[in-house]
Amino acid sequence: MTIVLRNARRLARHATLSYVTLAAAYVLLIFILPPSHTTMRLYHMTSLQYKTVLLLVSIPSLIVWLAAFMGYIRLRLYADSVSESEDGRHFSRLASGAAWLAWSLPVTALLILVLNGFANRWPAWHPASIIVGNYAVLLPVLIAFTMIGGAARSLLQSAQVRISLSATRLIMFFFAAAGVLYCYLVFRNLDLSSLGASQNPFFLPVWLLVVTLIVPYIYAWLVGVLAAYEITLFSNNAGGLLYRRALRLLAVGLVAVIAGSIALQYIGGVHPGASYLVLDGRLLAVTIFRLISGAGFLLLARGADKLKRIEEV
Amino acid sequence: MAQPANSLYDQVVKVTDVYLGPAAERFIARQVENHLHKPPQRLSQSDLLSLIDWIRVVVSLITDDSDIVEEYVDELRKLAVNKKPQKGQQGS
Repeated sequence: MTIVLRNARRLARHATLSYVTLAAAYVLLIFILPPSHTTMRLYHMTSLQYKTVLLLVSIPSLIVWLAAFMGYIRLRLYADSVSESEDGRHFSRLASGAAWLAWSLPVTALLILVLNGFANRWPAWHPASIIVGNYAVLLPVLIAFTMIGGAARSLLQSAQVRISLSATRLIMFFFAAAGVLYCYLVFRNLDLSSLGASQNPFFLPVWLLVVTLIVPYIYAWLVGVLAAYEITLFSNNAGGLLYRRALRLLAVGLVAVIAGSIALQYIGGVHPGASYLVLDGRLLAVTIFRLISGAGFLLLARGADKLKRIEEV
Repeated sequence: MAQPANSLYDQVVKVTDVYLGPAAERFIARQVENHLHKPPQRLSQSDLLSLIDWIRVVVSLITDDSDIVEEYVDELRKLAVNKKPQKGQQGS
């Protein structure tokens, strides 16, 4: 018990320190990196005004990072508390997936901020910053959703619950519709007269864009949607009134995290962002879904806390 | 330690399972070890009322829903009523 408590304290301290460091680095970089002259011209801003606005629009993200770190730490602590049980390793995998999602938020944001800074100083970097940024967002999501999906499937199997045929069909129908709509909306931005043309917001040849971004994203979303459904099913079928209540909270949080994450990636593909700050509807939509994802992490933290309490008292 | 099927410990876990699901066995084992200072398998009728008192306190820390706490405690009490301690019984 003492070792678990010591590990918990160490983990919490490490996460807090990491969050503070990453958030401080982000704020510092906003003021150090060169501003976007395009944005400054567009909104008639001075350099200081630009940086202040960038900081203000980044505040929701900073809050969401904190929520994400809280969520994954609490889930990890719960997973550690049941590590010797049958479901322990599945919860551990779930916590690892949540950790990938949580860490990917500040790490990719920092990377994109730096890349955009380079692009602002040297415009020839602009395509490279967009390309690297797109892959940097995709990779952790793929890993996280795969881990969460595997954990959700294992939990469901351990509870001996199976997805019904009608539910599978419904998921497939909505997923196919959303996937086709996504492809249609993305392809509207592309020059489809040549598969090798890279004069598009992604700065990639169409064939490469399809193979390395669109298909992996659609795959990741399917895994994410299935994981969300399976974890909901698992929580609804779990035994124990109090245990189920806590688990449902965790499941609802995870569903919100996955839904928010997918929505952000969907917007990123359908309406690719520029490498400079634009104050438009896209920014508003991105902020809303980011906050939904953050709320999901908070619910996840609360659910994991309640589950851990059952194991502690 | 092997224990007879449907021992008092099993029955307490079974009742607890309705409220704590997969955490039930760990929960009861912890209460018996921490509060009654004995191995869970050696839970006896004479320990039951004391265990129920502890469980009431501890479950109140998990939930604010007093109805559920009372319902759970009532279910446990039925075990105490149904099985009066027998002479010389030391649990399993």
